Amino acid sequence: MTHAIEIRDLRKSFGATEVLKGISLNFTRGEVHAFLGANGAGKSTLLGCLSGAITPTEGVIRIGGKEFQALTPRLAQVLGLAIIYQHFQVFEGLTVADNIFLGHEMVSYGYVRASEQNRIAKELLKRLGVDIDPRALIDDLSVGERQLVEIARALRHEPKILILDEPTAALSSKEMKSLHNVVRQLASRENLAIVYVTHLIDEIDMIADRVSILRDGQVIWTRELSDASHDEITRAIAPNLERGEKPPAAPRTGKSLLECRGYHSDFTGPIDLELHAGEVVGIYGLLGSGRTDLLESLVGARKQRGGELFFDGRQVRNRDPQSAFSAGLALVASDRKEQSLFPDLSALENLLMPHFGGYAGGKKRQLELFHQIADRLQLQPRLPHQAGERFSGGNAQKLMMGRWLFPDLGIKVLLLDEPTQGVDVGAREDLYFLLRDFTASGGAILFSSSDPEEVVALSHRAIIVAKGRQAAMLEGDEITEEHLVDMAHKFSNLETSSQ
Amino acid sequence: MVNFLLHASTVALPIAIVLLALFFNYHSPAFLSLGNLINLSVQVATMMTIAIPCAILLMAGKVDLSVGSMMALTGVIAGLLFPVLGVAGTIIVTLLIGAIIGAINGALVGLLAMSPIIVTLGGLTLMRGMAQWLSPSPLFGFPEAFSYLGYGKLLGVPILTWIMLVVLASGLLFMRFQYLGRHAVAIGANERAAFLVGIRVKWTVVLLYTAVGVATALAALMTIARINSAPSGSLGVGMELQVLTAILLGGVPFTGGKGSLLRVALGVILLGMLTNGLILMNARSEAALMITGIVLILAAGLDVLRRKRV
Repeated sequence: MTHAIEIRDLRKSFGATEVLKGISLNFTRGEVHAFLGANGAGKSTLLGCLSGAITPTEGVIRIGGKEFQALTPRLAQVLGLAIIYQHFQVFEGLTVADNIFLGHEMVSYGYVRASEQNRIAKELLKRLGVDIDPRALIDDLSVGERQLVEIARALRHEPKILILDEPTAALSSKEMKSLHNVVRQLASRENLAIVYVTHLIDEIDMIADRVSILRDGQVIWTRELSDASHDEITRAIAPNLERGEKPPAAPRTGKSLLECRGYHSDFTGPIDLELHAGEVVGIYGLLGSGRTDLLESLVGARKQRGGELFFDGRQVRNRDPQSAFSAGLALVASDRKEQSLFPDLSALENLLMPHFGGYAGGKKRQLELFHQIADRLQLQPRLPHQAGERFSGGNAQKLMMGRWLFPDLGIKVLLLDEPTQGVDVGAREDLYFLLRDFTASGGAILFSSSDPEEVVALSHRAIIVAKGRQAAMLEGDEITEEHLVDMAHKFSNLETSSQ
Repeated sequence: MVNFLLHASTVALPIAIVLLALFFNYHSPAFLSLGNLINLSVQVATMMTIAIPCAILLMAGKVDLSVGSMMALTGVIAGLLFPVLGVAGTIIVTLLIGAIIGAINGALVGLLAMSPIIVTLGGLTLMRGMAQWLSPSPLFGFPEAFSYLGYGKLLGVPILTWIMLVVLASGLLFMRFQYLGRHAVAIGANERAAFLVGIRVKWTVVLLYTAVGVATALAALMTIARINSAPSGSLGVGMELQVLTAILLGGVPFTGGKGSLLRVALGVILLGMLTNGLILMNARSEAALMITGIVLILAAGLDVLRRKRV
């Protein structure tokens, strides 16, 4: 059998860290190849190498009988490679057909042949088994439909290989099923090689012919679906499941610091939970499950829509983040670049921004504070005047967290949204250490994560949120990756099928 | 070569000012005379007074395009008030009105989250209309005590220059020692992050617009004292663009997030020198316009080079 793509011994290093440690894989036409791995396993780097966005350090990519050391985005397209990203990009305000043809319009004598485009767009969408009007505005389409438009755009270039990066992360279970059908058909009828990246083990039964597991920059194994049980897959993704650097048993003896009773934010609720001094509670849920919404509402960045919130024994309603943090409740937002980092400002300003005009005091004290906290954070490099954007992901995240870790600041509860997103493994350990240190001195932490491994590593208790509802609460040894992932899916599917 | 240009871009402004001064002085030796330099400082005093708070506003990522007409409106109001309130009363009330206009701009942009460009563009047209409606013909004949502001000197330096220096110094002190200065830059750098980290974004924006309003009213008073007239049709025309040009020349990006007031002051001076020097050379005033445009585009080009490097 000839392979559509063959990858041999592909390696990629960023500085001293080797992210891909010799990947060898092949993808065949007519086959759906599912690709699983935990966060940080190297999935996105591998996809980057295939899309041409990243240049591999070593290795060969063989496509259509030709060998390449590296691809460019243009070359990838010419060779028939198409990628649909998890955060796919459609252009609102344009029609479906305009979106499909954007950048490759059909033109004669300087004019776009709109009716011709509409006709072809309609055909492309029909191949995907949907009847979407190509003249409709993309704004009026559901997330699932937009994704199909995105796939139609890829089909327009008649690719031989279609790569889907966690395509179901934002879909409802109904949309998920129809996407699975589309994917199967593209493989069998159109003879495409499909690479399907996911972290949902349940999903692969529906679609995959073969399964590969990526861990720590290496392919652990590749098997036919029939030879891969869920158990084996789970163990291959995260073999240290029971190794467990579990935190010490839940110290429920501490004082109650934060309590939600029937709490509602815009899209989430009711939430019932109590957070004690010294405790770490994790919130686990899939993309769009309402985790961010809940945390932002707790500090007053979004409105509280119902229920009661108690902080440090008193009922409160936070007006804005400023009043929350004067009371002793602070948030480290997710998505550093968008929501917490000041890229052009210095490390010192990034660290002390909430405290200028109060706690931070004059120039001399600011520098003292910086060096004091930089030592604790193990910040690299320890330069107060280096711009925030020049720090690596892990060190930038240390700065974001360091804002609330100064001594005598009076922060009692830290809310962390995806605390180690885009953070390398070493810095992750440093951050975990800081968090344990914070709770050991009487603070409490509520954090959200889409990485089950992280929830297991940190939490005394874990809440599972699905479709905005509190689906379950796990405690101590009940918190395992399998449990978390299974329950999150069970509940998010239950919710929609009962609607 | 690129490296050279990069380094050049950080010192480009001072070097440009020095070279320009030498050039003008070569062609008309009066340029670097003490008398002309003092004259120059008076000419840039109003622009500087408005540019300082406007620059801080732009660092916060917001813009005020209404300052030209706001000058006309507050200037005309002052002219009408002199007979009623006397000099001191008029000055205080005019500054207050400036503050109120600024606060309204700030409330629309900060509290109601309306687009700064649209709100202040509307204000630009609206306030020019209001000024002309209040006083269709130019007002003149102000009390002597007020006119003194326009031509009087203190320690040999014109009062207008002193006012400009005080505004500049307060701006510098505000950015250096006041936490609100840092908050302004943080808002321009990442508004969402600033909010989530506990900065009162909305009220900071209101405050900055209010400061621009006060400074603009002050600049209006300075101008009508100097020309001893308040022409509703021409007072402050084009000031918003001159101020914006000076600030951009001073290296504040249009999207905000960083910038230095000292460089903005140099931008104002460079712009003032171009006009002043070309007039001394008996060049046509259109030449100043064209050269200013070219200089601004060159400055933007240098900025692109610098950012590409990083």
